[in-house]
Amino acid sequence: MTSQVDRRQFLTRAALGGATIVGATALGSLAPEAAFGATGPSVAPGAPDPAFAEGRITSISGSTIIAAGSDGTLNRIQTTGATSAWKLTPTSVGAAQVGDGLYARGVRMPDGTLAADALWLNIVSLDAHVVTLASDKVHLDHQGSRITGHVVKGVSAAVYNGTPAVADLSLVPVGGHVHVVGAWRPDTAEIDVSTVYAKV
Amino acid sequence: MTAVIGEASWFCCGTAWGPCASAGGGACGNCSSGKHQHAWPTASAACTSITDPGACGVGLTQRGCGFVHYVTNLCNGKEVGSSIADCGPNVHQFCGERTCCGSSCGTNRIVDLTASAFSAIASLSSGLIPIKVDTVA
Repeated sequence: MTSQVDRRQFLTRAALGGATIVGATALGSLAPEAAFGATGPSVAPGAPDPAFAEGRITSISGSTIIAAGSDGTLNRIQTTGATSAWKLTPTSVGAAQVGDGLYARGVRMPDGTLAADALWLNIVSLDAHVVTLASDKVHLDHQGSRITGHVVKGVSAAVYNGTPAVADLSLVPVGGHVHVVGAWRPDTAEIDVSTVYAKV
Repeated sequence: MTAVIGEASWFCCGTAWGPCASAGGGACGNCSSGKHQHAWPTASAACTSITDPGACGVGLTQRGCGFVHYVTNLCNGKEVGSSIADCGPNVHQFCGERTCCGSSCGTNRIVDLTASAFSAIASLSSGLIPIKVDTVA
């Protein structure tokens, strides 16, 4: 896994350094799950991580994404053929749209641009109370707000008691607490469910 | 403190978008998704009364805002240092919850990392990971 990350970082740096990269996948599959952890220089505990960016996408021009950070920072994010992306499922950076929320991890370049190793689009990670459950949706309370989670056929899964994920969400405990990873539907109180972690 | 084994997730912290929009600066007032920080269930006596790790048989030393823990992902050995910035997770709501990577398992949710801290040791899409928490790197 580490070697995959290192290869991705190499590809990112090479791409931004002017080397021609004709399809990163020519060097082998770069699984999105392996794209994390590009730690770069060590970050002091409690300090901002220069290799990380957050915000909502305000424009996309070619391989450059501009995202307005929630703290007011404007982030310029450069994607390459080696950048992995997640938007409910592992996908390509082409799935990014204006209005999407994002988290990005990569390499901070001298001009302030973040060369992205990985993008997570609209991803949310929530502890929630299950209010109701149906075959196509689950209603959740998260910190006092109601969130509708849409069950996406072929995608949504449940992990019960740490066992491998299964497609059957029927055992998700109504009235119980769960952890949910999903993709926010921008400007709504709705998400598409990726995984529900539940103890039954 | 002896290292503690458990589970970690990541959470809304500071200003953000989507369902995280309502998250404030956390119990310590300075929590931000871009900083290497975390929520700790015994960040204060009041915090402990809410998260109640004892209900799950978990004993955690009370540590306040700014205290540094080193969190190791047991799936890959990656470690991140982060400071306490909030109270949480609500341990008692997830008693017995277990996450494994092969034979490396963590039981009970004992730490929530910010997105930047979590992504330094795991993919944000991982959800829950087994971890070791220590006071030294």
